[in-house]
Amino acid sequence: MISLQLHTINPNSSSLKTSSFPISTSSHYFNSKSLKPHFKSTPYNTSTIVSVLQWNRKPQLAGETPRVVVITSGKGGVGKTTTTANVGLSLARLGFSVVAIDADVGLRNLDLLLGLENRVNYTAVEVLNGDCRLDQALVRDKRWSNFELLCISKPRSKLPLGFGGKALIWLVDALKSRQEGSPDFIIIDCPAGIDAGFITAITPANEAVLVTTPDITSLRDADRVTGLLECDGIKDIKMIVNRVRTDLIRGEDMMSVLDVQEMLGLALLGVIPEDSEVIRSTNRGYPLVLNKPPTLAGLAFEQAAWRLVEQDSMKAVMIEEEPKKRGFFSFFGG
Amino acid sequence: MASISTSIPLIRFQSNSFKLTNKFKRQILATGLDFRPEIRLLNCNFSYFNKKYRKKERDFVFRVCCSSSEDSDNKFVGNEVEKEKDIVELEKPVGKLQETVDSIAPILFGMKKHISTNVAVGLCLAIAFVVISIREYLIRKSRSNHHGSVEDLVKRGQLRSDRRGISRPLKYDDPFNNPLVKVSKSNSTVEMCGKVYRLAPVTLTEREQSNHQKRRSRAYQWKRPTIFLKEGDSIPPDVDPDTVRWIPANHPFATTVNDIDEDLAQSNVYQKRGVPFRIKAEHEALQKKLETLQNEQKLSKLVIDPGSVKDFERPFKSFSSHETQDGNDSTPKPDGSVNSSESTTSFDELQKP
Ligand SMILES: Nc1ncnc2c1ncn2[C@@H]1O[C@H](COP(=O)(O)OP(=O)(O)OP(=O)(O)O)[C@@H](O)[C@H]1O
Ligand SMILES: [Mg+2]
Repeated sequence: MISLQLHTINPNSSSLKTSSFPISTSSHYFNSKSLKPHFKSTPYNTSTIVSVLQWNRKPQLAGETPRVVVITSGKGGVGKTTTTANVGLSLARLGFSVVAIDADVGLRNLDLLLGLENRVNYTAVEVLNGDCRLDQALVRDKRWSNFELLCISKPRSKLPLGFGGKALIWLVDALKSRQEGSPDFIIIDCPAGIDAGFITAITPANEAVLVTTPDITSLRDADRVTGLLECDGIKDIKMIVNRVRTDLIRGEDMMSVLDVQEMLGLALLGVIPEDSEVIRSTNRGYPLVLNKPPTLAGLAFEQAAWRLVEQDSMKAVMIEEEPKKRGFFSFFGG
Repeated sequence: MASISTSIPLIRFQSNSFKLTNKFKRQILATGLDFRPEIRLLNCNFSYFNKKYRKKERDFVFRVCCSSSEDSDNKFVGNEVEKEKDIVELEKPVGKLQETVDSIAPILFGMKKHISTNVAVGLCLAIAFVVISIREYLIRKSRSNHHGSVEDLVKRGQLRSDRRGISRPLKYDDPFNNPLVKVSKSNSTVEMCGKVYRLAPVTLTEREQSNHQKRRSRAYQWKRPTIFLKEGDSIPPDVDPDTVRWIPANHPFATTVNDIDEDLAQSNVYQKRGVPFRIKAEHEALQKKLETLQNEQKLSKLVIDPGSVKDFERPFKSFSSHETQDGNDSTPKPDGSVNSSESTTSFDELQKP
């Protein structure tokens, strides 16, 4: 059910940004970092079908930085926070500087998913009140130092809404003008629902990722939220379909991703399968994408992050599991 | 046929190249293999080519190894021919062919005009080989030179192996094209994590997308509220009622009351360095209290020296402290934490007698 961006299907028309990727700049960038000297800067071959490791490929950042992306869903519990944590850390792993803002006031749990809960001393509310500076409220991840977390408020304090979304706009502005340079991505984990918390969270965003599950309740909320985002002027909306089970789709018990797309009419950023590793990684405070070897959901999040960077969308989706073709002698144990 | 006969020079070189180092031998074998397809193509005068090729190889060997004279070259060749005969006898099916090869051989040995070009080719190959081997060596060296990496920190227990990612070169791994993702030749299936999935292309068109957008803009008309008010409050005169969001007074996570005004909050967010506003305010309040206490008790001799105070407060100075400070220079207003602790100790001393 995970989908791929098939460079192989139509290398010219599939995605302009990907196929016109300037090789020279990327390999130059790579060499300047000089992780390993023996990588050849072979051109990114769009016609290869068998998988080959492409060590010199790095997603090309499209659009203006900082890209302010709000991750929202309408319905609760569909995986916004999971998506924020995994996509955020994937972006950091791809070499971009990321600030994740947990705008889920009162029910914050992004810090838990990231395993940073013990290091959140100050939040944005303290910054507004003058109890600390903004740089003191940013929690830097030790695994990836280009990933920072900012929580909006402490679990027991209330968010002062008097300024509306202005406070978030100030925060984004302050991040933009900070000394070490503007972050490439500011990812906002939006609270469920469409009331004050949602309105505040979407204020500074100029693009949105809509997380939905393939069931009708989540889809209706997603459609509503998309409508509100469009009214608010956020036109770049892509969706992530989460918790997809290929075994149920085959039995027609679950909508397929293409059905979901039919109903919402949104470009696909990613399709995440149901994966028990998600829960395990939550328990560990260790996002899935850092797992080695990667799991299905981890790979899917990684691919979604890749597309987010290049402002690309999926061209093909995985529909169902196929029984693996076994060789003639497979019954001998081959 | 061709492949069998071309394998013979290779065998010969393996047996004869006792003078060669391993590396050179490998190089020769490699060039021999490179020639193979060409020989297959030239099936008609195959034997001629084979001899010529063999001679080329031999010349190369001698240039590289010991740059021997011509007669030793010839002697060497004779030797080889005999040896080759032995091999041929062993291999009955190709015997006939090899005989013709050998009968042509002496004629070919007379052809010396190729030698000069052979020298050049041999030299080029030798140089290329030396460059390649040096490069290989340098790469190996740099690869093994990993002392003091993060790996060592993990070994020493300073870092948890599962908590580190920073040193992984996986950074630029393309997730669409890695060993765990294999797309089939027909692009109809993909193998991920050992499972095969069927693929279907995305069919959403631009027009469908804009139709959905139109439908939504009809269904949901919305203006994002820009002002939040507590239920029961009156709308300020200059505010569009459509943009007001009413927050219940007992909303669990939200409050509309701010104990701090908007401009101050904004400047707090933008503050890059220095003591945060609230902390400074608290220090100033404490200082004021101390001053009034000191004035009351008229113990002027224990007042902190204004000069030293200035030294302490310099690093903590920030833009908003200037206005309050410029007016009255005579009274010290330390606002750093060092100062406050100092002043509290002096305060304690005051209380003792
Ligand atoms: N792909 C998945 N496979 C399995 N479980 C998942 C998956 N995605 C999310 N979950 C589980 O769903 C639960 C809710 O996820 P998450 O907290 O990310 O949702 P949310 O949208 O942020 O919720 P809220 O609206 O409360 O903020 C978590 O327990 C998580 O483990
Ligand atoms: Mg959440």
